[in-house]
Amino acid sequence: MRIKLTSIFVDDQARALAFYTDVLGFRKKTDFPVGEYRWITVVSPEGPGDLELSLEPNVNPAARTFQEALLAQGIPHTAFEVDDLDAEHRRLRERGVLFTRDPADAGPVRIAVFADTCGNLIQLYQKRK
Amino acid sequence: MIGPQELRRLSRARELLRACGEARLPLRRIARASGLSVSHFIRRFRAVFGETPHRFRIRARARQARELLLTTDASVTEISLRLGSSSLGSFSTRFAREVGVPPSRYRAIAGREPVEAFSCLGLMTGGPHP
Repeated sequence: MRIKLTSIFVDDQARALAFYTDVLGFRKKTDFPVGEYRWITVVSPEGPGDLELSLEPNVNPAARTFQEALLAQGIPHTAFEVDDLDAEHRRLRERGVLFTRDPADAGPVRIAVFADTCGNLIQLYQKRK
Repeated sequence: MIGPQELRRLSRARELLRACGEARLPLRRIARASGLSVSHFIRRFRAVFGETPHRFRIRARARQARELLLTTDASVTEISLRLGSSSLGSFSTRFAREVGVPPSRYRAIAGREPVEAFSCLGLMTGGPHP
């Protein structure tokens, strides 16, 4: 049994694909129509190439309720690991990304949290040496 | 940087923007409820949610229309009234502009394959079956 696929709800798939590739730097892996929506996955260029993140439409009202509750409470949906959090923070801010938490140490990691413009907060973390 | 209180207020503003028909509030009222000037509210909302409050309201109304078309038997006219449109014509035009097809056509096409629970599991088994 392997973990190869994870997912995140987004309230607009086109905007999500643009943000997750152009701004965050992920690469589109699959994109095909499913009814009136699309099955879209991205991978990290830092690898592995077969670990995918799917950007799913939050059509189901339960998904929207969950997503909106997390955001209103300031809770990130997902966390991505980075090598240099402060550099990433600077780069993303220059791209207009809004942070809800600026870089700060939190135990064994250094973390920051930003809005992904698709209804989610995302955490970035860097392992401290 | 956006603090927890402003985040909560913008989330609340998003709920208010969904209100249609008689319950619909003007933008400046919603901005005031968020404790921001209209221009500041628009900027902050867009920074968090990726689109202006105006665009969000248009998309939210289209989404509500889609749900009503798929999950009820209400006529297109009834739906347009419920969502506060001044006329069936303007409702249909706006819907077609947002969704790509007119409301009645949407009901005919999409109604055949309702996608209520979109998940990778459902996708791998070929989608939800009626």
